[in-house]
Amino acid sequence: MAVPAESPDELPEAAVRRFDEGAFSSGLTVPDFAACLQMGLEPVGFVQGYCVMQWQWYGMSPMGGGGFGYQWGGVRGYSETFNCPHGMVSAEHRSWGQNYEQSWMEDAWASGFTTAYERMVDEATSAGAHGVVGVVDTSAPLSDLGVVEFKVQGTAVRVVDGAPPADGRPWTTYLAGQRLAKLVEAGYAPVAVTATVASVGVWANCITQYLTEGSGSLYGGATPGAEIVQTVKAQTAARRIATERIRSQLGRDSLHGASLTTTRTERGEGDATVECILRGNRVRRFKDFDPMPAPRPTVRLL
Amino acid sequence: MTGPGPLVPQGSGDPRADMRAAAEALSRPAGPSGPRMTSDLSIDEELVLHSIGWEPVELVGGSSMHSVPMGVWNWGQGEISYASVAYARSFGAAVQRLHEACSHAGGHGVVGVHVEWSVEPHHIDVALVGTAVRPVGATGLGSDPIFVSDLSGRDFTLLRSAGWSPLGLAAGASFVYAPRRSMGAAMQQSGQNVELTNYTEAMYAAREAAMERMQEAALQLGGTGVVEVKVTEGPMEFARHAVGFTAYGTVVRLLPDGHRNLGAQMVLPLDDPVVSFDAASLRS
Repeated sequence: MAVPAESPDELPEAAVRRFDEGAFSSGLTVPDFAACLQMGLEPVGFVQGYCVMQWQWYGMSPMGGGGFGYQWGGVRGYSETFNCPHGMVSAEHRSWGQNYEQSWMEDAWASGFTTAYERMVDEATSAGAHGVVGVVDTSAPLSDLGVVEFKVQGTAVRVVDGAPPADGRPWTTYLAGQRLAKLVEAGYAPVAVTATVASVGVWANCITQYLTEGSGSLYGGATPGAEIVQTVKAQTAARRIATERIRSQLGRDSLHGASLTTTRTERGEGDATVECILRGNRVRRFKDFDPMPAPRPTVRLL
Repeated sequence: MTGPGPLVPQGSGDPRADMRAAAEALSRPAGPSGPRMTSDLSIDEELVLHSIGWEPVELVGGSSMHSVPMGVWNWGQGEISYASVAYARSFGAAVQRLHEACSHAGGHGVVGVHVEWSVEPHHIDVALVGTAVRPVGATGLGSDPIFVSDLSGRDFTLLRSAGWSPLGLAAGASFVYAPRRSMGAAMQQSGQNVELTNYTEAMYAAREAAMERMQEAALQLGGTGVVEVKVTEGPMEFARHAVGFTAYGTVVRLLPDGHRNLGAQMVLPLDDPVVSFDAASLRS
């Protein structure tokens, strides 16, 4: 099967044949299926998009070993230098350190996610869907050779008696069924799933190295038990970059049901990569709603 | 493409009409909607917060990492103070940064805080992420100090409805060496099924110190108690001769109007799970 083309008119032949068969497929649970029918959403098909990226530089320290894909002149965004307080000590001494946004990794992640997402939306568009509900996205190593698979899938739906999207591109949401019904009842229209990654590399200076390894410093400056400031600043920067990037994409819309995960991968001698993934539902308020009455506490007799 | 349309009046009560209106709204540019927000709350939590006059503002986070000097996990006696202090400082600094982020966003408090922490041989990490909230339409900071809570939006609503207020997160931790047995005790216990009192006593010592620290933190915040306390205990993976006990929870205080009886009603759900017959239950 050929790789899906950019245009929805050029879906793989098997996919076109499948969508033309007439029977729908759905990844919804039975309760979610029932809730979707209740709100006038009829499933069209189970749609998926894949993208497998070669990621040679993934996880490598650009300044240490490896360095595939490292773009010394092309780094953009956040960077902060941490100078050594000791002066020239020895050739092995880490006399300076730096936190730097790994924009090439962010771009690679965005490319993989966006390509898989667009392929899913292409399938939904080809099937005549108005939206895609219950979206699930994953990115995971496919092997040990720096290959990462991006997968985005969901259930394409059509709004009964509803107008198709003005631009022809279906809306998408991680929600389905009852939660989607409540979201709409609360006055929010689903716009799109949105996700971004912020990646910050930590090239440790001597203090960060000593503190991360728990070793003392012969030259002072690394108080035992002190906060590892350089690494904490990298974590803070990664969260800020991710949230600011998402906010810049939102326009006047809001982000609902977000998930923010931060991971830190040690590279040795205090070096690390901090990654922050932020994803959620971009929603748009389309109607006012009155607050619901205060809930009535109950005790279930189970 | 048409311009931004007026908001649809509330209360159609027809989920199909709502869905059609939502889909139609997407074909227009975003209208003059309310303030933009980011939130990790579920729609249920957001609705229940609105029911008591609160709304989400922004997703906020704070983290900290403190060093633990090399060698402190080696054999010794008593508490491993460096580790206990590193935990307390990391937790405190992360909470402080969450306060600052909440204040910057114009929130009056943070609910649904996810607490992630790890104890590594040479450093202790704490990361907090939650949603800043405020009374609906409030501008600027409130008169009360900013609160931080790991309670869900639902639990926050229930707590406020009962006349209580969350004040902050309180945490306590203690890491203690399980002392070596004497040669005589080890030989005497060899091949026996006996209690290893050195481990038991170390667990008790760690527990008392950690719980006391958490309660002291609660009192310093002006609270009268801690709810939803989460504890972990056990030997450290990288140093089995050392045991750790951690505890954290949300500090609460009774509001001046006093406790309100919620008048909870009993309900008999009609969606009970099917309980199949278990013959083993006849033996007891």
